[in-house]
Amino acid sequence: MPRPKILVVDDDPDLLRALRLRLRANNYEVTTASDGYAAIASAQKERPALIILDLGLPVGDGFVVLDRLQNSDALSGIPVIVLSARDPQNNEEKALKAGAAAFFQKPADNDELLNVIRVSLGPGTPQAAAAWPS
Amino acid sequence: MDNQTTNVLLIEDNPGDADLVRLRLVEGQSSVHVNCVNRLSEGLASLSLETPAVVLLDLNLPDSHGAETFRRIMEHSPNVPVVVLSGQDDEALAMKAVHQGVQDYLIKGNISSKQLERAIRYAVERQGLLRALDIAQKQQLEFKNQFLSHVSHELRTPLTCIHQYVTLILDGLAGPVAPEQADHLKTVLRSVNQLHAMIRDLLEATRAESGKLRVEPRCISLRELVQQAVSMLRPTADGKKIGLEIGLDQRLPLVHADPSRVLEVLINLLDNAIKFTPQDGSVVVKVCMVEADPGYVYISVSDSGRGIGPEAKALIFERLYQDPDSVDNSRAGLGLGLFISREIVRLHQGRIWVSSEPGQGSTFTFTLPIYSLAKLLAPVVTHEEHLRPSFVLVRVELAPLSSLPRGNWKDTWRQCLEILQHCVYLDKDLVLPPMGTSAASETLFVVASTDLQGSAVMTMRIREQMERLGNLKTKCTLTVTAIPVELQAQNPAPALELQIQDLADRVAQMIITTMERKQLGTRKGAQDSN
Repeated sequence: MPRPKILVVDDDPDLLRALRLRLRANNYEVTTASDGYAAIASAQKERPALIILDLGLPVGDGFVVLDRLQNSDALSGIPVIVLSARDPQNNEEKALKAGAAAFFQKPADNDELLNVIRVSLGPGTPQAAAAWPS
Repeated sequence: MDNQTTNVLLIEDNPGDADLVRLRLVEGQSSVHVNCVNRLSEGLASLSLETPAVVLLDLNLPDSHGAETFRRIMEHSPNVPVVVLSGQDDEALAMKAVHQGVQDYLIKGNISSKQLERAIRYAVERQGLLRALDIAQKQQLEFKNQFLSHVSHELRTPLTCIHQYVTLILDGLAGPVAPEQADHLKTVLRSVNQLHAMIRDLLEATRAESGKLRVEPRCISLRELVQQAVSMLRPTADGKKIGLEIGLDQRLPLVHADPSRVLEVLINLLDNAIKFTPQDGSVVVKVCMVEADPGYVYISVSDSGRGIGPEAKALIFERLYQDPDSVDNSRAGLGLGLFISREIVRLHQGRIWVSSEPGQGSTFTFTLPIYSLAKLLAPVVTHEEHLRPSFVLVRVELAPLSSLPRGNWKDTWRQCLEILQHCVYLDKDLVLPPMGTSAASETLFVVASTDLQGSAVMTMRIREQMERLGNLKTKCTLTVTAIPVELQAQNPAPALELQIQDLADRVAQMIITTMERKQLGTRKGAQDSN
């Protein structure tokens, strides 16, 4: 079975590298983008199974990306998990209304994040939990 | 004053005095338009229509006397300067008015036009300055809060990076880690978590100060919450060899409070107690009722630390307060915990205080309102001093499908609660606050003042409205049921208060029965799946 592909969007290259390592160790294929425009282009080209999205991004912020994804027939089905440093009190509801499947504030707990990724990908995806050293 | 006309509202019931003041005003240099009324009610009506430059106010009017007069004017139009016109024998009262925010006073019968003109000009100027000061202070507070909220956001970004790489190494994803290295990394991680908590506190305190702290009260049992808080802090207490005990009253009523916020307060108090208690000491959490104050539950955290002096006691709940004698300055924190706790307790209409003697340990106590169904029901179940004829308990159960992420679920049931509020008549039906600490599945109740037939319309409306909510079916299953509340007719009918209490008791019993049945159901379900 092919490994599910996750698109990670964040403008901090160091964080992107860490998330890539973490997700690969959990049996996911990872592709990255560091601005809003690149995120949409990559989503169209790579057709990831899931997107992890920061909100504060150059060239079209996270809400613009959410909006574009929602308005595209081909991409609106991809679950999006928002991972942002912004205050959930002002942004969580807004992000969920804009189509996000979940909202995490940075720094997020790794186990919780991986759990929501697994749940959002739905049944039939490889059990990545086993590769998770505790 | 420039050449513009000054609008003066003169509130004076004595025609002679009014004419005299008007005359003095017209004699003056500047152009003045006087609107004269002789009752407070007319004055207030005029203020609602247009804002004068100044109000000249006699304190003794046909419809208001003394201090009441200026208080009502200032309450109505806090931004309009007021000059009191006082009799010679009333000067003390006029002085009092000045202390409470009136700009100036003049003694009637003794007013020259120069004096009057100057009093008005100064009153207008001073009021303008006060307003500017008030606006500047508000802007400053707003700026500070924005700055803090921006800073706490910016601090999160590098902190996330540190957190990610430390956990990557600790989890062995970057190669094998020697035990000693793992130990050091765990220390780093602890500090990261501490920094994270501080950033959170900073934002919380900012919210508290600008009135943006939110609480979502539910009907909860304190037993679970106390146990949860104690088990979270048990490792820290064990590390210092401090005994951590719980003392709960046998019969504790449910409280009306936000579980995550109460947990925050408990953790805060316990964390402080452990921090300031020496090795081999003890910390005790107690929850009890106090006879003299039956509307509240008392929660206290006592320690065997070195106690708090009277000076510190007065300041300890203030923002940024730090104990100057703290032995352990390296881990002192920001001094925001008790401030946030106080604000949380206050938002629940509770109280928080500390009692302590130096060397004798300290006890922090806070109160939370008990969940009184009778009190909540009273306004909707009665009509013209009589209990309404029939009631139905409507139960709306939302069970999330197992595949739904947690954050999403919270949002979904919140929307459902909102819809529910729109499906009832607010004057005769009541949506009860959500029950229990865990929102794993949500059962919402409505007490409806109607019979079973009437409730059928309501349950249909609820079902229709909720199903209209975007893809609710993919998120949870919805069950709506209605059960009539059986009330026994008593002859003669007891006092209304007792009837409401009886209704509340019956509703509570029905809810408890439903919830117990549901718990049995889920437990059974869990066993089946094992």
